[in-house]
Amino acid sequence: MLTRRDLIRRSAFLSMAPAVPAFLARTGLASGADEAKEKDGRVLVVVQLDGGNDGINTVVPFGDEAYGKLRKALRLPEDSLCKVGDGVGLHRALKPAAELMESHRLAIVQGVGYPNPDRSHFESMAIWQTARPDRASAREESAGWLGRALDAAATRGTASGPAAVLVGDESMPRSLWARRAQATSFADASDLTLAMPMPASMPAPAGARPSGDDLSAFVRRTVTTAYATAAEMEAAAERGRGRGDAARYPASGLAKRLELVARSLKAGSPARVFYAIQAGYDTHSAQLPTHARLLGELAGALRAFLDDLAAARLADRVLVLAFSEFGRRPEENGSLGTDHGTAGPVFLAGPAVKPGLLGRTPRLGELRDGDLAWSVDFRSVYAAVLDLWLGIPSAGILGGPFEPLAVI
Amino acid sequence: MTASPWEPYRPDASSPWDLERAWTLRRRAGFGATWGELERDIADGPGPAVDRVLAGECRLDGVPADFGRVAGLIGDAAAGSSDARRLQAWWIYRCLFTPDPLLERLTLAWHDHFATSQLKVEDVAAMRAQNETLRRLARGPFADLVHAMVRDPALLYWLDAPSNKKGKPNENLARELMELFVLGVGNYSEADVKEAARALTGRTVIQGAFRVREADRDDGAKAILDRTGRFDGEALVDHLVAQPAAADRLAWRLCATFLGEGVADATARAELAARLRSDGLHVGRGVATVLRSRLFFSSTNLHARVADPIGFVVGAARALERFDPPPSTLLLAEWLARMGQELFFPPNVGGWPGGRGWLTGRAVVARANFASALVEGHLNPSPAIPDLRGLAARHGRGGGREALGFFAGLLAGRPLEAAELDRVAHGVEGPGSDASRLGRAVALLLAAAECQVC
Repeated sequence: MLTRRDLIRRSAFLSMAPAVPAFLARTGLASGADEAKEKDGRVLVVVQLDGGNDGINTVVPFGDEAYGKLRKALRLPEDSLCKVGDGVGLHRALKPAAELMESHRLAIVQGVGYPNPDRSHFESMAIWQTARPDRASAREESAGWLGRALDAAATRGTASGPAAVLVGDESMPRSLWARRAQATSFADASDLTLAMPMPASMPAPAGARPSGDDLSAFVRRTVTTAYATAAEMEAAAERGRGRGDAARYPASGLAKRLELVARSLKAGSPARVFYAIQAGYDTHSAQLPTHARLLGELAGALRAFLDDLAAARLADRVLVLAFSEFGRRPEENGSLGTDHGTAGPVFLAGPAVKPGLLGRTPRLGELRDGDLAWSVDFRSVYAAVLDLWLGIPSAGILGGPFEPLAVI
Repeated sequence: MTASPWEPYRPDASSPWDLERAWTLRRRAGFGATWGELERDIADGPGPAVDRVLAGECRLDGVPADFGRVAGLIGDAAAGSSDARRLQAWWIYRCLFTPDPLLERLTLAWHDHFATSQLKVEDVAAMRAQNETLRRLARGPFADLVHAMVRDPALLYWLDAPSNKKGKPNENLARELMELFVLGVGNYSEADVKEAARALTGRTVIQGAFRVREADRDDGAKAILDRTGRFDGEALVDHLVAQPAAADRLAWRLCATFLGEGVADATARAELAARLRSDGLHVGRGVATVLRSRLFFSSTNLHARVADPIGFVVGAARALERFDPPPSTLLLAEWLARMGQELFFPPNVGGWPGGRGWLTGRAVVARANFASALVEGHLNPSPAIPDLRGLAARHGRGGGREALGFFAGLLAGRPLEAAELDRVAHGVEGPGSDASRLGRAVALLLAAAECQVC
């Protein structure tokens, strides 16, 4: 029986007709209607904000009287903000994100952290990436939270091909390290662009395609499919350019990477997790211009990505999670910047989210050792992603039961 | 009763000694051969051809007289640089120019077996030292290799051995030692893993060297695989390697390294394991058994394996005799990464999935683009377009279709079907010189399905 999701997928692939490569059938046109298979069509896109994003100047508690006291040089004027709640506004560079929130495609969880916060980039990132809540256990855990999840999913016998893709030239983030599940990476579109055209094989009559399980049939099918897909992606990009209605992505590194994720999804990638890294959030000095540029890049890329997917009717399959290893100190430092802090906001984007602000807005008058107290354990965000989105039971992966945050 | 698959191969009418078999030997036991080397192997017969492979004397062409010295210099410089890409380039240099390609193949197999990643180790010198250890012990008794790895700083760090302390065990090393390195899954219990972890306590790395910290060591009695004793790490390895399952695991690894998909069935593997067991798990002699065997040269083993990226890349460079100027090994390392085989960065402790897993869409595109770069001379610091017509002429072949047939045999190890040759010839029609058309044709051959297997 065809489900709605199958129809959506099928129509997405029809736009690639007539050369729908054979391997797409395995994922895109899977006909099973049970819950597990449904969820196998779902994709998680992680955006890692490297360096420690200043949460206070991302989701700004302008109504908190302590804000102006702690932020003198770095205070963002109230009238510049995109108001999203009582006394709370998004940085003006996040305007595209505010629009996503209005169109029910963005949730921001405030005050996300973990007990005994670690202010080292490396240690805190390891904690986020492994979902082990202290540095000793994070160090001893050699698989990441997503790697473990994909391993668990693979034991159900549904995986084929790389389960995770890092889009970027960084080394593989620990989140994706796994014992069994494959992860791969590509850095730019040229990785999927043929340097010379491949002449097609003699056209075989329908139904006479190479099939079967023997190696030579597999290799022939795979090679033919790869070249057809590459050519088709090239042609699709060409058509888009010609018509001028291709999805418009801003000219930023993150946008290019998310565009590649979209292209992969359109080409029927079987990966369940995509991962991109946006670096530069370690704003110890002269923070204002850098932070505005980074947030603008993030919001613009997210908006273009979700719009592109919506046009391709793939948006329902995608959830984006953006996190940083920690927030920054509420009180600015002496060099127009901020130092390492604790809790911060997490972004969840896609049509499936419950839009708006979630969690308690941090109270700047109730600091602990000068830092924000966390109110949402990051593992309850992960639990939501695993249980409610990917359909992979979270308790075994997170080392215990965490109540999934009601965000999906 | 049928003869053992591991009896030595004797050519006969159904499995003649020919180009396909000589080519298969050189691709699987190394990284491919030049036409001159293949002709010598075909003329001399399988006995001398295999002997030369085993003795590390199979290469006629492109072996620098001072290979050992140059490789040492490059390796030392890479280890001192903290740049993992230079270490990758060093290993590729070894694969390209060594007189003993089987040794590099085996080193690669052990890198895959004791898969350790620089991603976590973050110590180029330690990764290089591990690689030299794997090479030094590559063809000796398996026990020596396992003992050395359980003392290897890179591997200990990779598997969290320094965190494994008395009363606070970390099971990572113990589990992989049993599951992946020696026994294989199903040959031990969870209780064995816990007890083995106790036996491995105290093993750590101090100033880059292996040490046992007595204060962290659990000296109590442990019950491991039906024996109780005050095992330490060394006694544990001896105990594990003595298990019958160790020979099964080693037999599996040798078959996975040299044979095609599904070529050795469970019976054949068990028989190889029995031979290994009665021969002290001696790797080198086990390799010789496999490479001399009827099974290795059987028709089912021909073109039955997806070529790994390094075999594809180094094999093409050697077959096309790109010795002077040689390709940039740093560039080759980048191509390997695009094809999914980033040396010193295996995806996890299980090693590269290999086999059909190599052929992701991205990797196939990378292989095709590498082929273009190779024939267009873009693998050299300054463009150096290979003289492929000259290469064919040196081996007595004319141009056009005759040259195409020659390159098919050289690169795919067998004649191609006429329809496939038509497709290639048709695909390069159009403007341009004969030489550039031949270059594109060779790139198309390398990108074809036939060249993705060996």
